[in-house]
Amino acid sequence: MNCRECLEELATGSLRELTPDSSVSRHAAACPDCGPLLTQLRDREYQAATILNNLRPLSDPITVAGTAGTLARRHRIGRVVVTLTAIALGLTIWFAADTMVSDFGGKGFNVPMLRTETMSLSCLTPEQAGEIISPYVRSNGSTYYVPPAGVSAITVRATPTELAQVRNLLRDFDNDRNASCHLNTGPGPDFTELQRQLKALEKLQPVLAGTKASPAATKPDNPKNK
Amino acid sequence: MSAGSGATLVQPYISHRMLRRRKRRRAEGVEEIAPFRDRSAYALDVQLASLASAGDDAAFTSLVTRFQPAVFRWSLTFARDPDEAEDITQEVFVRVYRQIGNYRSDGPLEAWLYRITRRTATQLRRTRGRRGRLLLSSAARPERDVYTTDPGGRVDRQRAADVVRALFAELPQRQREIFDLIDLQGLSPAEVAERTGMRPVSVRANLFKARRAIREGLLATHPAYSELST
Repeated sequence: MNCRECLEELATGSLRELTPDSSVSRHAAACPDCGPLLTQLRDREYQAATILNNLRPLSDPITVAGTAGTLARRHRIGRVVVTLTAIALGLTIWFAADTMVSDFGGKGFNVPMLRTETMSLSCLTPEQAGEIISPYVRSNGSTYYVPPAGVSAITVRATPTELAQVRNLLRDFDNDRNASCHLNTGPGPDFTELQRQLKALEKLQPVLAGTKASPAATKPDNPKNK
Repeated sequence: MSAGSGATLVQPYISHRMLRRRKRRRAEGVEEIAPFRDRSAYALDVQLASLASAGDDAAFTSLVTRFQPAVFRWSLTFARDPDEAEDITQEVFVRVYRQIGNYRSDGPLEAWLYRITRRTATQLRRTRGRRGRLLLSSAARPERDVYTTDPGGRVDRQRAADVVRALFAELPQRQREIFDLIDLQGLSPAEVAERTGMRPVSVRANLFKARRAIREGLLATHPAYSELST
């Protein structure tokens, strides 16, 4: 073995496992450079191992055990406190968010909750429909739009609940058979009767015309007839 | 193994990573020799752990008394000085108190403790590093020998701190850990592989790197070293 091989072996080999009859030990015993180096390496690792392995902890084990128990219990209580605090915080945030949504709904919080719907009207005018639904469209941001004249519809922007109410109201009022629009426009029995009576009157028109002329002709007091 | 000798075939304490590796190897059809352990060797530890997990403080104190020197010794590898090792030791036993119920009693308590020590040291170091405390050099830090009234003990601790600094200052944690376990504490590479959950080949590779780094300074004094390095 030469110095190079010895150094290669010393660089990564185990010094504990070097036996006196190994090739490295035999070379180191004969080589003036490798011998002291091996001794230095061995001494350093031996001293390090001795110092570290013989160092004892200063803390008393009973104190360590007591402290560990106290700290562990404190950690457990701390975890419970943290959990409860987190739950309380969550509830507070939830309540606050809920309150803010209901309070400031029209200012941005519950804008997505509003729906817009246009409802056609067959009987009521948009103004009439507006007057009917006005008390029901009261939440923040809710409103209704009356279209220009000639369009029989009304557009409502409101919460789903309000929209449902409005829909029911308009259906009830718009389909009311006693509403004036139904009486005037529908081909009901009353209108037919009226037409029949009108035709009868038309038939009677010449008769009526005749009766109107004869009294003048047969008037006895008329001096021209005499 | 005979049942009367107290030695039975047991599954040692293994990590999830090791468990996955074993399953993979089993799936690949690689034969694995199950290690035999002498259960009687750690029967006392199992009993102490069982009592401590049931809330017996005396058993926990016995357990601390039994393992405190070992935990302190392992902590020295991960710490920068003995004072930091004391802190790690204390924190390890706090965790042991909380997690003793998780010990599965199917392997030596020592291996389980070693894993806790390693994890605790890493986490403490990370926490302290985050706070910027470890950025200070050891020279800049104030001496914390206020508890040490024994002058001899103080010298020993100072020498230990010097050794840790001289040997381990430049080494990555894994290399310093393996070098310490094998070359300074005398464990075999197979034992270290089992304890750290690493593959034996990785243990050997890290050991060689650590030795090379530690011995390089002295080897460089040899006249033929330049020839070796080229």
